[in-house]
Amino acid sequence: MDRLLQVDNLAVRFGPMQAVKWVSFTLHRGETLGIVGESGSGKSTLIWALTRLLPETAAINSGEVWFEGADLLRLPPDRLRALRGTRISYISQDPMTSLAPGLTIGQQMMDVLHREPWSAREKRARVIDALDWVSLPEPERRTEMYPHELSGGQRQRVSIAMALMLGPDILLADEPTTALDATLEVEVLDLLRRLQRETGCAVIFVSHHLGTVATLCDRVMVMKDGEVREDGPVARVFAAPQDDYTRRLLLCDPAHILTPTRRQPTMADAGTPGAGPAPDPAGRVKTEEAPALSVNGLSVTYTRRGVLPVALGGSVDRVHAVRQVGFEIRKGETLALIGESGSGKSTVARAILGLVRTDGGTILLGTDNLTAADRAGWQAARAEVAMMFQDPAGSLSPRRTLGEQVVEPLVVHGRRGEATRGKAVELLTLAGLDGGFADRYPHELSGGQARRAGVARALALSPRLIVADEPTAGLDVSVQGEVINLLNGLQERLGLSILLITHNMAVVRHAADRVAVMLKGQIVETGPTARIFAAPEHDYTARLIAAAHHDLPTHESA
Amino acid sequence: MFGYILRRIALGCAVLLLAISTLYVIVQAAPGDPASAMLGPKATPAIKAAFAEKLGLDQPMPVQIARYVGSVLSGDLGTDLRSRRPVTEVLAAHAPYTVELILAALVIAAGLGIPLGCAAAVRRNSFFDRAIGLLSVSLISVPPVIIAIYGMLLFSAALGWLPAIGAGEGLAERLHHLILPAVAVGIGWVGYIARLVRASMIEVLSANYIRNARAFGLAEGRIVYRYALRTAVAPTVTVLGVGVGYMLGSAVFAEIVFARPGIGKLMYDAVILRNYPVTLGAVLAATTLLVAATTLADILNALIDPRFKESRE
Repeated sequence: MDRLLQVDNLAVRFGPMQAVKWVSFTLHRGETLGIVGESGSGKSTLIWALTRLLPETAAINSGEVWFEGADLLRLPPDRLRALRGTRISYISQDPMTSLAPGLTIGQQMMDVLHREPWSAREKRARVIDALDWVSLPEPERRTEMYPHELSGGQRQRVSIAMALMLGPDILLADEPTTALDATLEVEVLDLLRRLQRETGCAVIFVSHHLGTVATLCDRVMVMKDGEVREDGPVARVFAAPQDDYTRRLLLCDPAHILTPTRRQPTMADAGTPGAGPAPDPAGRVKTEEAPALSVNGLSVTYTRRGVLPVALGGSVDRVHAVRQVGFEIRKGETLALIGESGSGKSTVARAILGLVRTDGGTILLGTDNLTAADRAGWQAARAEVAMMFQDPAGSLSPRRTLGEQVVEPLVVHGRRGEATRGKAVELLTLAGLDGGFADRYPHELSGGQARRAGVARALALSPRLIVADEPTAGLDVSVQGEVINLLNGLQERLGLSILLITHNMAVVRHAADRVAVMLKGQIVETGPTARIFAAPEHDYTARLIAAAHHDLPTHESA
Repeated sequence: MFGYILRRIALGCAVLLLAISTLYVIVQAAPGDPASAMLGPKATPAIKAAFAEKLGLDQPMPVQIARYVGSVLSGDLGTDLRSRRPVTEVLAAHAPYTVELILAALVIAAGLGIPLGCAAAVRRNSFFDRAIGLLSVSLISVPPVIIAIYGMLLFSAALGWLPAIGAGEGLAERLHHLILPAVAVGIGWVGYIARLVRASMIEVLSANYIRNARAFGLAEGRIVYRYALRTAVAPTVTVLGVGVGYMLGSAVFAEIVFARPGIGKLMYDAVILRNYPVTLGAVLAATTLLVAATTLADILNALIDPRFKESRE
């Protein structure tokens, strides 16, 4: 194989922080190189540095990036610009922010072709071809649409089409599937694999997810704190990791642990996988008592009004977000509600918290009927049900300390007297953060710590039920296990019931007692976790599980 | 999009109706009555009462409001108590001067403010950026009246380049007369808009899609104007829409100082004379301008950034 890109001693710093530490590697023509690492390991910084697309706050200290006999780091700006998009292309992480909001898909894609000598008509035809190529339905109509009118998966397809439209030699993909849910991730990975086969371009695929890299790449590079810890063929690295960090990372990924266990190994104690009991619900789940939560025939409809009032013949669009959903959660039990984005699982959570109006059905919290509750009833109910928000850093106020925020639910519920610093420290300790965190601000926290702060706040009112919305979304695999352990541990100590909303099947396997699968607003299957994984009844469930397995390529050898 | 525009316009009309009713009440509640003002101190109570009856001022307030709203909707704003001409006619004669003044002020504010803010954001923390910052704060700090008076002293009295008073006849003359008052009303906004555009540009320039546009080799100018400014200008459009209200306030001063026969001057004279129909009409015209400006700003924003209309629905 001939060398396409040669990186020598590349180092990048952000102020005093050395983000990439003298990294060298080679990319061959047609090769797929995976770069794996936790957030902050410098993997994204590394690939954006290759064509000098870092923010102004970053500085490249040293290094050379050789591409076709030229050092990209020293190329004059206009010559470098001529390579961007044509020879070297990027796909960035978040499809929600990677396209300009004020221009149509067509306008943005035509802009990518700005250097080509084609007529506007021909450019348009090529844009439509490119969209068709990435299997976007109705490509012609899509060109007239704005990014916000497309779903996340569709936008990522558009980004891929844009990146590959001019047939680049190198595609740099920065976590292109991280923001997508499992089934979409599989689709996008399949698409990337197909396109790579068709174009033969070399790919550098950055991800924090080992499994994803393993399925897609020939070679993998493991990064930690700006250094390359391991570089080798995928099969070898996964089967026989030579670096201790890689080894621990592989052991700690909940997706790699196929035997259900309520105690995940963590980076700190890696080497003792599967420590702790299997999720045997006997004794913990109070089957003989009345359920903590029971939902029957729940329906939620969103309406969208047309131009004219209904009385004047205006139209009303009704979207049945949730239709006739029923399930119950016993005391001390974890029920996982799974399904892809848009399946209605978050709407169910919002209904339980009284954040949307229900159109039918009942929600019984213990013996209280929430659907018939008045303001005071809801106020009381909200002390019993706590929400763990999906984006913990975003759901904390940046201007107040954790100590103030974790006891805020007490203040809201008129128990200001109990909202003491002592209580805050107690809650933080319960969530596994030491008392010193009470004086810290959210921006000082890592993803895992923010998640723990969210748990501490959820526990403030000693709730009976916790609704955990995607508790591991956006977390490094090395921390996912810790969050699972935390939820499981709290459940055992406090007898909590947990409604776990997620599309991460690994979390479901290790934390849930039972699973309810949602599809298009309805529950299509419910059952004990082990049975669902072993013998899914519904096609859709099987697909979800298969999508998760997709991430586990070499597990039998690992 | 069409539905959104219709809804914005309908909402604007509703706001106007409410404003008309409120205005009527406020003007009636002000001290002094038109009968005394018009008929002079020697008028007997009987004559005053007859006058009030003629104007319908003896009716209960809700009736007066309903009658007023009704007549406004039918295009009848009453009769100027001085000149005996219909108020609509008086307004029609004065309104263009104010509209052109506000438009010119907007052109100055946006035409200078947006490029300055843009340039400052692109060359962030440079000497240039700091100079624009200093200039902006200075412009914001000086009241329009001061600019009007010193502008007049310098450019009209001392240098004789620009006319000091009046509005001029014919296009060239009118534009010539417009310069000083428009600068007085608009220049303070240049600084404000520059700061605003700079802040939102800096935010937008760090967005993911800007980096992506660079990654596709787009030229920097194209990225700044087509990709970044488009998103960054939205708050400015909103602020300018509301700003028309403040500019109308400054226009009153500017029109008095420069003796321009606009709505502001008309309003001022009518208030002094307790010329109720004209006062009401002038305020109504100003309100209409403001509501039209904010509605237009919303519609413009929806055209610039299609996400905007969803956030407002």
